[in-house]
Amino acid sequence: MTLAPAALLPLPVAIPLVVCATLLATAHLLPGRIPDILALIAALAVAALSAVIAVHAADGPLVYWFGGWEPRDGVHLGIGFSVDAASGWIAAFIGLLYALTFVFAWGFFDRTHGHFHILMLLFLAAMVGFCFTRDMFNLFVWFEVMSVAAFALTAYHLAESSLAGAINFTVVNSLAGFLMLGGIGLIYAQTGTLDFDGMAASIAQGGRSPVVAGAFCLVAAALMIKGSIVPFQFWLADAHAVAPSPVSVIFSGSMVSLGLFGLAKVSAVVFGGSDQVQGALPVLLIGLGSATALLGGWMALLQRHLKRMLAFSTISHAGIMLTGLGALSAGGTGGMLVYVVGHGLVKGALFMIAGILLATQASIDEIALRGLGRGIWPAGIAMGLAGLLLCGLPIGILDQGTRLVQGALSQQGHGIALAATAIGAALTGAAVLRAAGRIFLGLGPDPGDEAGAPSADEREKANRPLWLMLAPCCALLAVDVALPAGPIAHALPRAVSAFMHRPEAGMLAEGPGWLPWVSVAAALAGAGYGLFRKRLPAFVVRPVSATQSAPTRALEILHSGLIGDYAVWLAVGVAVIAAVLAMV
Amino acid sequence: MSPRIRVALLALSGLILLPCAASVIAGLPAFGSKIALYGERINAITPEARHVANMVSAINFDLRGLDTLGEEFMLLAAITGTVVLLRGHRGEGITGRAMRRPGRAVIPRSEATVLACRIAGPLTCLFGLYVVLHATVTPGGGFQGGVILASGTLLIYLGEGYSGWRDAIHSHWLDALEGGGALLFALCGLVPMLTGAAFMQNILPLGTLRDLFSGGLMLVENLGVAMAVTGGFTQLFLEFMEETREAEEPDEPGEESA
Amino acid sequence: MSVLPYAVAAWLFGIGLYGIATSRNFIHLVGCLGVCQSATYVLLLGLGYRWGSIAPIFYDHPPGTPAVDPVMQALVLTDIVVGATLTALLLVLTVQAYKRGGSLDPEKLRPMRAGDKPGQSRGSSQVSDGGRQAS
Repeated sequence: MTLAPAALLPLPVAIPLVVCATLLATAHLLPGRIPDILALIAALAVAALSAVIAVHAADGPLVYWFGGWEPRDGVHLGIGFSVDAASGWIAAFIGLLYALTFVFAWGFFDRTHGHFHILMLLFLAAMVGFCFTRDMFNLFVWFEVMSVAAFALTAYHLAESSLAGAINFTVVNSLAGFLMLGGIGLIYAQTGTLDFDGMAASIAQGGRSPVVAGAFCLVAAALMIKGSIVPFQFWLADAHAVAPSPVSVIFSGSMVSLGLFGLAKVSAVVFGGSDQVQGALPVLLIGLGSATALLGGWMALLQRHLKRMLAFSTISHAGIMLTGLGALSAGGTGGMLVYVVGHGLVKGALFMIAGILLATQASIDEIALRGLGRGIWPAGIAMGLAGLLLCGLPIGILDQGTRLVQGALSQQGHGIALAATAIGAALTGAAVLRAAGRIFLGLGPDPGDEAGAPSADEREKANRPLWLMLAPCCALLAVDVALPAGPIAHALPRAVSAFMHRPEAGMLAEGPGWLPWVSVAAALAGAGYGLFRKRLPAFVVRPVSATQSAPTRALEILHSGLIGDYAVWLAVGVAVIAAVLAMV
Repeated sequence: MSPRIRVALLALSGLILLPCAASVIAGLPAFGSKIALYGERINAITPEARHVANMVSAINFDLRGLDTLGEEFMLLAAITGTVVLLRGHRGEGITGRAMRRPGRAVIPRSEATVLACRIAGPLTCLFGLYVVLHATVTPGGGFQGGVILASGTLLIYLGEGYSGWRDAIHSHWLDALEGGGALLFALCGLVPMLTGAAFMQNILPLGTLRDLFSGGLMLVENLGVAMAVTGGFTQLFLEFMEETREAEEPDEPGEESA
Repeated sequence: MSVLPYAVAAWLFGIGLYGIATSRNFIHLVGCLGVCQSATYVLLLGLGYRWGSIAPIFYDHPPGTPAVDPVMQALVLTDIVVGATLTALLLVLTVQAYKRGGSLDPEKLRPMRAGDKPGQSRGSSQVSDGGRQAS
């Protein structure tokens, strides 16, 4: 038997599935630490295998047909996996993120007979399957497995707020699944196949068709719900803020960006031949992306619940990724793919810090925690670094992604979107830096009797030593900073052309070098303003307060937490997508 | 948002979506006029290629077996999640007393119920097994049969009462059944790879068309699904049922936050 | 009436969404979600149907008899499993939410919000100004 690299493709999905079935079957026989160890090994195996696959896919996508059902006479009979270098590396990154999360959560979920690990491994397998598949319905299956595992993990704490957050999350994402399935039905009726390439060929021949546009509208809406794009973003803050910290790491680090990854793949590969869809995409993605970047950033700045702040910052960054996608160029998509990895590393680290604070200080409230972080200053350094990276400090892979996205935007003259990416990053960076300054340096006014945390019952088990929680967090930041920019920039054009099924473009343009510095400066200024407002002269403070109060109140009313409102916004979002498609 | 604004906004987006939906529907092939090429080809080649009569099973277990694998583990995720969330504060203990509604009379189980359940229970299980086994020839299959089998266990509850049910059904066995079934299915994918074939390639002898034992590997996969579904749904019933019991001590919210 | 099944599917989704938007009871809401999901069943089965065809089971009829699309039926089977899992999970969440909050009304059970707790709104206005400088 020859071991072709393509034969490895099923393994990153199958290994976590086998491990979790075994864990469940033997749940009551296994001694305490075994689930931790097995889950860690499985995640590392997924990361390693995916990396090997990605390396082998550098020259061209690897294709694997399940059950040996290769296409016959041009008809795709079975399900295929098709892995290009970019998908492979994204899967490897996800495996690494899970491995570090398992370290972070070591012993955290002691009393559940490995049920936590079972859900997490299913989540992992579904994400890898989502990255690898080339079959539309298979994509839906992994999408749903991901959702179901996520729903259960969100409500893990069983507090009132986490149940409400989980219900909102479940209802909205279930609706996303139904929309996607409807879209798949339409596209299947139109093209007579479920394979990406088969559908793409049929769509390219078919010319303008309302069925194709309708299918795209439904599938894109579903993936944007997953990717928390305005006006579908509401569920995210509710869910991410209340999930256990290790789960939030995964949610923000990979689940959200994976929705956009799926959107990138589907719109480039499947709908690449539809002029109507390609014509609507720039308006749609850049418009919604800019709005998302700004709204997420602004809302992040308004939060004092640390995890909710990070959740809104994830929304903002999802918007930035979407604008990259909207450039419809190799640079934009490539930048977005790099950004997915960079953002996942940094945001994962930040959620780990939030988890550390929950475990060691038993609070997640920025005001209540003022100055309490001094004892765990290494976490403060990590948080400060992560905040700087988040707003665009020009080192590391997140910055590389940002500059590629901005390069693609400026090349195509999307000035407003370019400004939105810079401002969104600055706003989220300002929020994180302000919190870091307040918590770890004790800056800002003394809250006095205000210090009472809004939800005092929130805490997480403090049964782990600090270094065990801090090590994976630092590892994430180290990976972000240390990944070499040169080889990535070198390999990216080819990887993007394989990802988008397009001929290779030359070197990808990067945005103006001063723009990240502007973001950093603005973020520092914003954080400083938040902390030292009382010491600033009144003629600076008064106009700022006057202009920001009305929109702030409006935004807070919009984020009502009511599932009925979210369902309405979902309908509005679908209508917006449909209207843009109809007008092209 | 007030309910009125909400409905107005919904109606507005409905108004925008209406013409779009109409044009999509008008663009679809007329109902009942034709089926897609993919389905046509499967109907044409599968009976010969896999010796099975039931095309839906052939798709579920062979052509698109990976989907079913994902679906199976989706069920596993949901049931694991249910167990985690329902047991969160309750723990795994078994409590004897049922919750009583004040003012509602407690009627003892009649003998007719007991007799009916004792007759219907085995018959239901038999029917479930029949549906499971005939996956490749009739519209049956592991999922449908598994659900019937699981509901058969509910008849024990109806006939023998809660404690009788809890004595007969053990949560650990259900975990093992569910995990074991899912594992069997996943191994059906991996074992063919050891022989050099593709993941989930049907390498077993295929049998003859219309025979109970046709379809090769599909039969094993079907068995795995049946096990997982039976175990999973019974587990689901068990956990929901336990919710009707009275807690021994009052809940302490936030007591076990991890 | 060649468009009726598709129109029914669209109607079901719309009415289900209306139910979710206006629901005042979580169990009702779970039911509405089920209505939305039936829209996908109707759509998929409608798309896979062909007049004068048999079910795709070649037991009583020889292989080669015109049959409806088996792929759609397999997809719907998966869809049904999705529905079962979602309903189970949502009902669990509802049970637990009822135990914690004592209400089944979505308007009464709210995720963490600014302004719910004392000190929250003041705290947030105090720290909310960075955006001006950033832009």
